[in-house]
Amino acid sequence: MEQATTVLAESGLVVRKTGNERGYHGEIEGIGKADVLFVSASEIAWYLKTGKAHLGITGADLVQERMTDFQARVQLLKPLGFGFADVVVAVPDCWLDVRTVAHLDELASSFRNAHGRWFRVATKYVNLARQFFVSHGFNDYRIVESLGATEGTPAAGTADFIVDITTTGSTLKANGLRILDDGVILKSEASLYASNVAEWSPNIREAQNVIMSKLGL
Amino acid sequence: MVAETAREFEALEEQARKLLSAFVAAGHEAVAPAVLQPADVYLDVIGEALRARSYVFTDPDGDEFCLRPDLTVPICRLHLERHPDGSDKANYCYNGSAFRFQPRGADAAHPREFRQCGIESIGAGDRENADAHTLALILKGLEESGLKEWKLRIGDLGLFRALLSAIDMPERWRERLRHQFWRPLAFREELERLTKPAEGHAIGIPAELLEGLDPLRAAESARKVAKYLDDHGIELQGVRSLEEISLQLARIAADRRAARLPVETANLIEGYIGVRAPARAAGARVKDLIRDVGVDITPALDAYHRRLQLLSELGVDVAKAEFSAEFGRSLEYYTGFVFEVQVTDLGEGSPVAGGGRYDGLMKMCGAPANVAAVGGAIHTERLLKAVRG
Repeated sequence: MEQATTVLAESGLVVRKTGNERGYHGEIEGIGKADVLFVSASEIAWYLKTGKAHLGITGADLVQERMTDFQARVQLLKPLGFGFADVVVAVPDCWLDVRTVAHLDELASSFRNAHGRWFRVATKYVNLARQFFVSHGFNDYRIVESLGATEGTPAAGTADFIVDITTTGSTLKANGLRILDDGVILKSEASLYASNVAEWSPNIREAQNVIMSKLGL
Repeated sequence: MVAETAREFEALEEQARKLLSAFVAAGHEAVAPAVLQPADVYLDVIGEALRARSYVFTDPDGDEFCLRPDLTVPICRLHLERHPDGSDKANYCYNGSAFRFQPRGADAAHPREFRQCGIESIGAGDRENADAHTLALILKGLEESGLKEWKLRIGDLGLFRALLSAIDMPERWRERLRHQFWRPLAFREELERLTKPAEGHAIGIPAELLEGLDPLRAAESARKVAKYLDDHGIELQGVRSLEEISLQLARIAADRRAARLPVETANLIEGYIGVRAPARAAGARVKDLIRDVGVDITPALDAYHRRLQLLSELGVDVAKAEFSAEFGRSLEYYTGFVFEVQVTDLGEGSPVAGGGRYDGLMKMCGAPANVAAVGGAIHTERLLKAVRG
């Protein structure tokens, strides 16, 4: 949130909290028609998807994960240059025989013969993982939804490999995991989106235009 | 979302009664398998792709269920509950809802919720005979419901398997081609890859690691791999053992050293997959294709012709049938004969009925071994539309 307000302030959009210091409402100086809501990045994606917000700042990872039809639902207005992170496929480093998705696919049948089940993939990016694997023709795995500490699941034995977000890769490394050579699913950063499903009255358009011109759009 | 699942409720019910009575008269027991199915079986059979086209959800106990996307797996489970061995002979018929997520949005031709009426024949040893009877009975049902004009598309995955077995190549390549058959793009890539110098496949794997690994000398390979892990400070983790990893590496190494698939063989396989011809002529076409290269799949071709003959004897006009070698590739559980009944008005993407042989499915659902099984289902809303014109 701090990064978002800093970036906006650099463009002359000063966001201030209104009311209680610990509240979640705010305003933009000079734009009386704009209501600002401070909510979690994943909730922002949902607000954009359902049209509860006209504009929102959130990560591409969340937008693409939460909306199978994100191109229709939202419009990317501007990447904001912070919150960089990659959604990646990472396998145990000791799997010397697996460098690509094709290697995983080739291994799937003998893995199943040896262990009586398909590969288990831990992730909170269920849709992104599935779409990515489909595009690589890889289908012989099962997803285990993981809402936290995904990178620990291979060591814990609850999954065989993971699809997760990483910024520097150091957490993966610390957990003995390695990103597949062709395993970058999405390069994400915090971006400003407009919702296509929200109701856009002339008043709101006007406010958007002011914000857009400040951002140089 | 629609508020009413069947606008023509009474007409659909009447149509279903007619279909079911035709099926029952032919010796099929009417059954009602559960609408709610454990997601596990489907996920195992279809894979994660299921989630992209079905309604899968977690109940308050944390167990995963799905709304049945078809009735074949539910029938297999029903059969297994009654006969744990799975191989007992039984003929079933049903009429009920099935559910599919429509990623491009639902419409009248591709509803989220629709009714299927169909038959399954389990445990019949004479496969061609059971195939022919299944298709003939589905067509009889369609005709008794008033459908006059239809086209038939058939395929035979048994021919493809026979072709692959008859062509000389390492078993591992065969496995890979079989595995990829269901994904046309990946299959083509795999075929191409097998004809090319093998370095490509080992990309990313250090050459010094592959040096000297041999699947026939497992213990020695495992020692080499263990040393490599040790030298690089990599710890073993997860369920895969050192032996599994080193065996796979040794296979990749052996593959790199092996001769490549001759381009003519790859072309032959591509050529077979491209065959589309009237059903009667198709057998001869396939025979021509393989004769010059000395590949013999006579038993599979005989079975194909015998099935056509049986269909003919059952009064099916096989002149209306077109054979497509590629057909049947969309559903991984089909193993042999496959068919689809099309109506011109509805188009190729919306068949009124379809089905096929699925000898591996009972085992995937929990039977101790494969069980001969074949079935077919009618998309009842489409049938009603086609009959009314």
